[in-house]
Amino acid sequence: MNARLGLAARAAFTLLLAWLVLYPIVIVVHDAAASSDALAAFVSRPGEWRVLWASVWISAASVALAAAIGVPLAFLFEWLEFPGRKTLGSLIALPVVLPPFVGVIAFLFLYGESGFVARAVQRLLGLAQPPWRLQGAAAILLVHAYSMYVYFYLLTRAGLAKLDASMLEAAQALGAGRWETLRRVTLPLLRPSLAGAALLVFMTALGSFSAPYVFGGGFRVMTTQIVATKLNGELPLAMVETVALALVAVLGFALLRRTEGDDILTALGKGSAPRRRPIRRAGVRTFATTAGWAFAVVLLLPHLTLVLVSLVPYGSWTTETLPPVLSLVNYQRLFSEAERLRPLVNSMWMAATSTFAAVALALVAGALVGRRRPWQFRGPIEALLALPWALPGTVFALALLTTFSKHDPLTLRWVLVGTTVLLPLGYLVRNLPVTGRAVLAGYRQLDPALDEAAASLGAGRWATFRRVTLPLLQPALAAGGSLALVAALGDFVTSIVLYTPDNRPIAIEIMSSLRVSELGVAAGFGVILMVLSGVVLGVGARR
Amino acid sequence: MSAFVTLDGVRKQWSHTVAVGPLSLEIPRGEILVLLGPSGSGKTTVLRLLGGFEAPDAGRIVLAGEDVTAVPPARRRCGMVFQHYALFPHLDVGENVGFGLAARGRKDAGGVEGKVAEVLGLVGLEGFERRRVQELSGGQQQRVALARALAPEPQVLLLDEPLSNLDPSLRERTRRELRALIKRVGITTIFVTHEQEEAFDLGDRVAVLQAGRLEQLATPDELYERPASLFVATFVGRANVLRGKTARALGAGPGELLVVRPERLLLADAGVPGVVRERRYTGAAAFYLVETEPGDRLEVLARPEAARVGDRVYLEAVRVLTFPEERA
Repeated sequence: MNARLGLAARAAFTLLLAWLVLYPIVIVVHDAAASSDALAAFVSRPGEWRVLWASVWISAASVALAAAIGVPLAFLFEWLEFPGRKTLGSLIALPVVLPPFVGVIAFLFLYGESGFVARAVQRLLGLAQPPWRLQGAAAILLVHAYSMYVYFYLLTRAGLAKLDASMLEAAQALGAGRWETLRRVTLPLLRPSLAGAALLVFMTALGSFSAPYVFGGGFRVMTTQIVATKLNGELPLAMVETVALALVAVLGFALLRRTEGDDILTALGKGSAPRRRPIRRAGVRTFATTAGWAFAVVLLLPHLTLVLVSLVPYGSWTTETLPPVLSLVNYQRLFSEAERLRPLVNSMWMAATSTFAAVALALVAGALVGRRRPWQFRGPIEALLALPWALPGTVFALALLTTFSKHDPLTLRWVLVGTTVLLPLGYLVRNLPVTGRAVLAGYRQLDPALDEAAASLGAGRWATFRRVTLPLLQPALAAGGSLALVAALGDFVTSIVLYTPDNRPIAIEIMSSLRVSELGVAAGFGVILMVLSGVVLGVGARR
Repeated sequence: MSAFVTLDGVRKQWSHTVAVGPLSLEIPRGEILVLLGPSGSGKTTVLRLLGGFEAPDAGRIVLAGEDVTAVPPARRRCGMVFQHYALFPHLDVGENVGFGLAARGRKDAGGVEGKVAEVLGLVGLEGFERRRVQELSGGQQQRVALARALAPEPQVLLLDEPLSNLDPSLRERTRRELRALIKRVGITTIFVTHEQEEAFDLGDRVAVLQAGRLEQLATPDELYERPASLFVATFVGRANVLRGKTARALGAGPGELLVVRPERLLLADAGVPGVVRERRYTGAAAFYLVETEPGDRLEVLARPEAARVGDRVYLEAVRVLTFPEERA
């Protein structure tokens, strides 16, 4: 590829990405700004500001809660040795295989007012009413803490594993005690990991839709507010709300990104991580192991709940603490009735297609700008690939909806609303950051000398790509692809805005099953999603 | 000799087959003791036992008259320089050097700053306080690590192969500066290395370790001239180890191994006959590989023009060492 052709290819690709991820946002911002009524309505209604503030404080509280659970766990599992550490250490990452929406309904079945725990407590205390209602901010935070502490746990563990033991020893040799070493050396060295996790949790919580949608009740955050406003038919106001949420997201992203700092912190480290210290006192060791297993059981309860509820035939479970009848009838119906199988098939094809396209686009990006030189368009391409991550899913869903509801080929807009294409397109955009990041990182680790070696052995550009680059990128592709596939399979946020009757995905089907009280069917779909996610992630992580 | 640092029967068991000690050492105040040994000999373990990073399974460690065996590192007052320096990347040079001053409770800022400047001056890095440690060269990082260890005025200085990361040309100069600096400060120092040249250059005395045991503790001259074991003889300096006919011809008794250093073999007019097989020219001299009749190959150090490859020569030994065969 000569230089000019390469430059043209980069420019063309940048434009394509810009059209996919930036253009819809621009349209929403433009439309929102153009509608002065909606703007005025937004500014003057105190409810709007309250909802926006709710989004912010829920996200901040989620960060605090997730850190409070995840960080101590990471230290426990990385620094101490006790029976069962390895098994427990991987069990503890389990919430990952539960797609957000499935996790939410599992919580509903478990801790909701007619869930197992509430029923048990009610029976135990002989109460006439359920002891609590799982609703409002507390319920949302509970779900967030459960599903998001994993980010803190995993990133802190990774940070601790990279820590140089001699740093800690140096501090001790200089007279610093255990707490002082933690405060003055360990935590500052972990800052990039902690800030990275905080960023992940904040953005995830800000974009979180399922938990507020199911548990919010009267308590609204911006993601649910946008969808409600849209359902009310006030599309211009929904767009203003979208822009407001996007602004908060970008602001939070920029703020947290600044504290993340640079990787230079680890650049000096050459030593090995501290050895794990066995817990010596038998009592403490037993306590750690018991507490660890108890915690793992708590983590596993939502998964088990889903499985149990999926075995409950329709209408067979009323006031008992545990369901009296269990059978596979829900699964039989799922797989034998075409109408019920349909959402499964829909989700599969849409997830597969969008993942494939997201991986392909990431590969193109990698081929164009993955190497060290030349630099043209590298920044814009990377930024465009990452952009959908910095914005909540609702924002993108609404932006795509707006952009592709108008036929105007001159401005590159076509009517896709009402077609089955729009939802997979939404999945694709949402997944670009995941595949893009994985593939670009993979490309960066490739030794450029390999290309040159292949060329010197007579391999052409395409042969080099197929026989050298692609096999070496395979782990990165598998990792990025599996994460994208799981996200698309379990998606609820994008789906609820963009689905049509012809491509109803699983999450929407779960929702409508819940509406008609077909708990068993809803749980059955949840179990299927959970298993699919587990399998896909397991395959993706294999080397 | 009054001991300032004492290891008394110290022992650390890593596994059934790997252990260090029992080891007893006495180090007088102000001495530089070098722990020399191949990798896996336990020298770093001994240093870490002294620093308190490992707890011994048996024995006692006494520092300045105080039994510190159970004292945690933070209260031992041992300055330590790590192999990769372990400079704190989130702190600048001044904060790194001042770390121990703050930790030991010197809170008055002026005092800390003054001390930091003083110690940086000592290692020749005046005015480096606000530099980032990432910007420093390897040699400068090493000196910051040294300044950081010295700043809290420790009783003992522990150095774990601190020169191994420097390139060879810098290493020799740094070594001499390091010795001069330590002597100026007058601090009792234990230095770990696997390089004999470094050990000889730096140490007042050298302790040779092998498989967790102390083979010999002596001055460099004594180690070289009167090695206590075959291991010390071969690990410290170059040596030809001979058995059989050639060994006896050079002076070994029955059942004895003979060790002779290359510079103690002369190319003479009479003696053990052999043929020059290789010649390695080093500038001031040359190493000759001489093969004797029974097939033994000996390294001989001589003048560069003393012989050529293929020459028939006669070897004469000036000074040989003998060890009983079963020690081999």
